[in-house]
Amino acid sequence: MRFGKISRAFYTQLLIDMEQTIQTSAPPKQRKMRRTLLGTVPVVSPLYALHPVTRLFTLLFLGVVSLFILTPEINILLIILIFVYLKWAKVDISGLRIYLPLTVTVAIFMFTVSTIFPGAKPEYHPFKLLGITFYLEVFFFTFASYWRLMAMLFGTIQYFSTNRERDTLVAIRTLKAPFVVTYFFSLALRSSGMFLEDMRTIREAERARGLDESSISLRDRAKLYAMYMIPLFTLAIRRTDEISNALFARGYTPSGKIEKGGKRGDYILTLYPIRNIDIILITLMVIVFIAIAFLQIRYGIFSMENSPLYQLLLSRLS
Amino acid sequence: MIAVSIEDLGWKYSGRKNFAIEHVNLEIEEDTFTSILGPNEHGKTTLVSCIKGLIPQSFHGVWRGKVEVFGKDVRNQSAQALADEIGFVFADPEAQFTSMTVEEELVFGLENIGLPLHEVKDRLDWVTDIALIADLLDKSPYEISGGQKQRVAIASVLAMKPRIMILDEPTSMLDPLGKDFIFEILTNLKKEHSLTLIVVEHNIEQVAPLSDQIVLMYDGNIAKAGPPAQFFENSAFLYEHGINAPQATAFLDQLKSQNLYTGALPTDLKDAIQAATSLLKSKEPSES
Repeated sequence: MRFGKISRAFYTQLLIDMEQTIQTSAPPKQRKMRRTLLGTVPVVSPLYALHPVTRLFTLLFLGVVSLFILTPEINILLIILIFVYLKWAKVDISGLRIYLPLTVTVAIFMFTVSTIFPGAKPEYHPFKLLGITFYLEVFFFTFASYWRLMAMLFGTIQYFSTNRERDTLVAIRTLKAPFVVTYFFSLALRSSGMFLEDMRTIREAERARGLDESSISLRDRAKLYAMYMIPLFTLAIRRTDEISNALFARGYTPSGKIEKGGKRGDYILTLYPIRNIDIILITLMVIVFIAIAFLQIRYGIFSMENSPLYQLLLSRLS
Repeated sequence: MIAVSIEDLGWKYSGRKNFAIEHVNLEIEEDTFTSILGPNEHGKTTLVSCIKGLIPQSFHGVWRGKVEVFGKDVRNQSAQALADEIGFVFADPEAQFTSMTVEEELVFGLENIGLPLHEVKDRLDWVTDIALIADLLDKSPYEISGGQKQRVAIASVLAMKPRIMILDEPTSMLDPLGKDFIFEILTNLKKEHSLTLIVVEHNIEQVAPLSDQIVLMYDGNIAKAGPPAQFFENSAFLYEHGINAPQATAFLDQLKSQNLYTGALPTDLKDAIQAATSLLKSKEPSES
């Protein structure tokens, strides 16, 4: 379409104004970032050379494979691998420090429970540290479990830090999930974001009318949060209605079938071709995953007892 | 050809005492621009929802009368068939977003009506050019500005190339610059596309010059309808019904009521200035 002279001038001026606004409001050397589910990745990242389905497999691989590994050294290596991957993807790793309290809390909780309730057996090897009796088997099992949990946690974090909702949907659609399933997932992602946004709006409105949360007791604060549920659910129900109307207006049918015949196309998938590197990486991940699962289930190769550190400590205490 | 034909239409929402609209009769010609004006809660959105088929297909209530779009009763058509013929842009653009990126939002409707992928690509390029949103494709529709959201909403409907496009208060949530932008798009759609446009608007100054027909909804009925020049006659009547005629039109209407002006009532400022200038010249005493 071609615009008339007045329109073209109008648009041109508008674009110049927008450009100037951007130039004056943003630092000149700031990298363009793309928001992901849990963080940001630069718009230009080697990560995007990988198909979303390959990235989804990294979640399945790095987030699940540790279930079969109780050798802490391997889980620590996996965590290092995850950090190398994040660094390669140009993710701002300093942003991961928000998970530090979580990692410390989990450690305190796990080691406290295993110290207080060690479930001591006669064959365990006790040792004293700071006047407290520990049992090597229990202590080391907690240590190994902790690193297993951390590997799974960071395996999951890496995925959500490097991928957007769209990447996940493309991956699921590439795996031929039914259209209605992927669409339900998409709407669920959308509604959770809107729910949080609505909550923020309600809280800001209350603060604007003089509510000081720091001055009210914990009990009253809990009551306040419970009261938020009423407007939030009312809004959610209204939004459901709006989305339903929007879907109708755009000709959506849950079956995804086309009345005129033929199959519903998926344009977005055409933008993400699967390349050889994707096939190689997915195959590699699947093979390694199956091999680890098999070796652990059949031979217990990745059990705690096969940890060099455990063997070293055991030899010292024996 | 008649694009929309409404006969004795009435609709009462479930659980309400009164009909939201009643005894509505209207015909809209193909390739015309119809504006629907009126105060809030007087049946404008209900009327256009009936034309789109959202009512009764997505709402519960009591229906009377008939609405035909290109000769077909809207109640007997599927969502896909209606989407193919009629596009609908909601007042709140966010309310109609169903996807996680602008690009997906734009192609969603096209995929629903079963277009081949090369056609989807062509239409995507075409519509991003019209709405100037090519740089937004990769963004989430929830993270862009209000004006950009409305442009995306219009583009996503326009991409489906419907024969009728309904816009329900498309500028109600926008700043003046955003409103101007939307009216620029509407002006271009009217000038350069074969499209029947039905626009619910409060911004009379901007919508009147574009209109071929203006409809005033009041208390669930059509209080007045006609071409702009005819519609804006008797501005006192419009004022009583919650409408202010464009200032230029109201000015000449005042002169007309005092028998100082006899010509047609223009809706835009340029035409009004021309009419007033002609009037002044005709009243000047001759130099002889």
